[in-house]
Amino acid sequence: MPETKSDASGSANSDEPQTVASDEQLMVAFSRGSSDAFGELFSRYKQPMFGFFRRRLRDPAQAEELTQETFLAVLRASSHYEPSATFRTYLYAIGFNILRAHRRKAAFRAMFHGTEDREPSARNTMDSDVWLREAVNRLERIDREILLLREFEQLSYAEIAELLRLPLNTVRSRLFRARTALRDLLAAPAHKASPKDFTEYEERV
Amino acid sequence: MTSTTHCVAPEEIMAFLDGELSAVAAQTVSAHLKDCAQCAMVAEQFRATSQMLSGWDIEAAPAALEDSVGRLAAKAAARRAVVKSRSAGFSRSGGFRGRRLPVIGAVAVVALLVVVVFFPFSRQSAPRRELVLADKPIAGYVQPQQSAERMRGPAVTPYSRSSRALAGVANGSIGALSEDQLEASSMPAPMIARAASLTIRVKDVEASRSSLDSILARHHGYPAQLNVNSPENGPRGFQASLRIPEAEMVSAVGEIKGLGRLENESQSGEDVTRQHADLAARLKTARETEERFRAILQQRTGKLSDVLEVERSIARVRGEIEGMEAEQKALEHRVDFASVEIQLNEEYKAQLGSPADSVSTRIYNAFVAGYRNATETLLGFLLFFEEYGPSLVIWLVVLALPIFLVWRQYRRVRSVADF
Repeated sequence: MPETKSDASGSANSDEPQTVASDEQLMVAFSRGSSDAFGELFSRYKQPMFGFFRRRLRDPAQAEELTQETFLAVLRASSHYEPSATFRTYLYAIGFNILRAHRRKAAFRAMFHGTEDREPSARNTMDSDVWLREAVNRLERIDREILLLREFEQLSYAEIAELLRLPLNTVRSRLFRARTALRDLLAAPAHKASPKDFTEYEERV
Repeated sequence: MTSTTHCVAPEEIMAFLDGELSAVAAQTVSAHLKDCAQCAMVAEQFRATSQMLSGWDIEAAPAALEDSVGRLAAKAAARRAVVKSRSAGFSRSGGFRGRRLPVIGAVAVVALLVVVVFFPFSRQSAPRRELVLADKPIAGYVQPQQSAERMRGPAVTPYSRSSRALAGVANGSIGALSEDQLEASSMPAPMIARAASLTIRVKDVEASRSSLDSILARHHGYPAQLNVNSPENGPRGFQASLRIPEAEMVSAVGEIKGLGRLENESQSGEDVTRQHADLAARLKTARETEERFRAILQQRTGKLSDVLEVERSIARVRGEIEGMEAEQKALEHRVDFASVEIQLNEEYKAQLGSPADSVSTRIYNAFVAGYRNATETLLGFLLFFEEYGPSLVIWLVVLALPIFLVWRQYRRVRSVADF
């Protein structure tokens, strides 16, 4: 559950002293020209953002590229930033849109040029990662996205609902379904992930 | 966790663990979890699943990312600083960047307007003024014969001289030809029938027309045809077909162009030398034939039927000769007088005080026009589908399958890509 997450601990609502500026304050400062504020925001969110893309994409280079693209989008849009939502939600919304655009592009490339042959990225992939990836992969697409947004990005149900344009109750029931299914999948470790399944999943994302 | 008969649904427990329940509901669930071992187990399972998921570690973000984003941020900051220093007059930092495009657009539009409004006038006004100064009242159009006579005075061109020489071959008797005429006929200079067509946009058709009259008078031309069109609520138009002595055509066309803004001009020259020479030769032969028939009639005697036959032949040859002579004259006239077609279009300015039809008439007319348009449109649709429907159906059938396949693939790819 949320309290167990480590890679989102950079956010402002972690156990930092109250004197530290909130994400939103930093963003406002940055939109007024403070580049230090951006540096601080970047250091807080580079790992969560990289993790966001890395869990959803096979290629670490792509994850890096999309992370960079996300921060570039923040840089560009900074003058229009209105602190209506939390910065975290705002950032993940941007990231999600960039991810979606990337997936579409990749899917269209695959549609017209056939399946892309890329090197499987075994470099940084540990066994436990493969196992977890495989288990998550077995979930339904929307369920998977909701689960990841909740577990790793720690978005609230309402934020997930808004991001995925789904009714709140749907988010809750699908999250329940995803967690139940995942529990069953993780409870049956006899089925190890076969490389084929893994590749199929990667092709899809 | 699959229990559904329990007082607290497992989904509620999950929401409780996620902190998504209201305070009251959270209290209820919390109290229930203390009492109910089964529900506590469900909660424990949720926690365990999340715990396991948290083991999905991700490597640290590459250091290169920090560098590249840092560079981008520095670049953005530099640009922002430049923009800020430039936009001193703007209320908000970065304001100029947002407004630069509209400002440039507005400047471009103004520049374009200035060019459109003033440029044609600057081109048009100089020759117009000159024309007004040269304008003289005219008594009437010069008759073609007169102008031809005048033209054959000092302004004779090599073409027209040769044409006269050729005419001499045709008209006079062969024996009477002088040496230089013979020379001219054996080496005919080219005869060119010239024509020009001009479309000019003018400010005022009436003024332009009087200027045109004076131009014609100066150049000894005449209008072959005139057509003025002045609708009630629209620009007036003026078409004329002018004949201008060939020698003066260039200067006359130049002056006509000065009447306004030239929209279209085309000039052509048709070489009729061969046509004319053919005609002259045929004419000569026909005249000789006629002479021979007349000689036969005078010298020979014979039956009445023979005499009548010769008479008929003479009449036929005479008719041919006259036809050819007329044709020759027309040809020479075309060479001597260039044909200039003019179309003057007026720049229309709507008249504020122009009398309008009564409101009821206009409403009625609009209604009738609307009804007619509607029926015409319907009929048009009907005719279109009758005419092209079968082909459309064929194309639809031919294209439907690939379109459907691509669409299905697109839908599949999109739905996969979205999540």
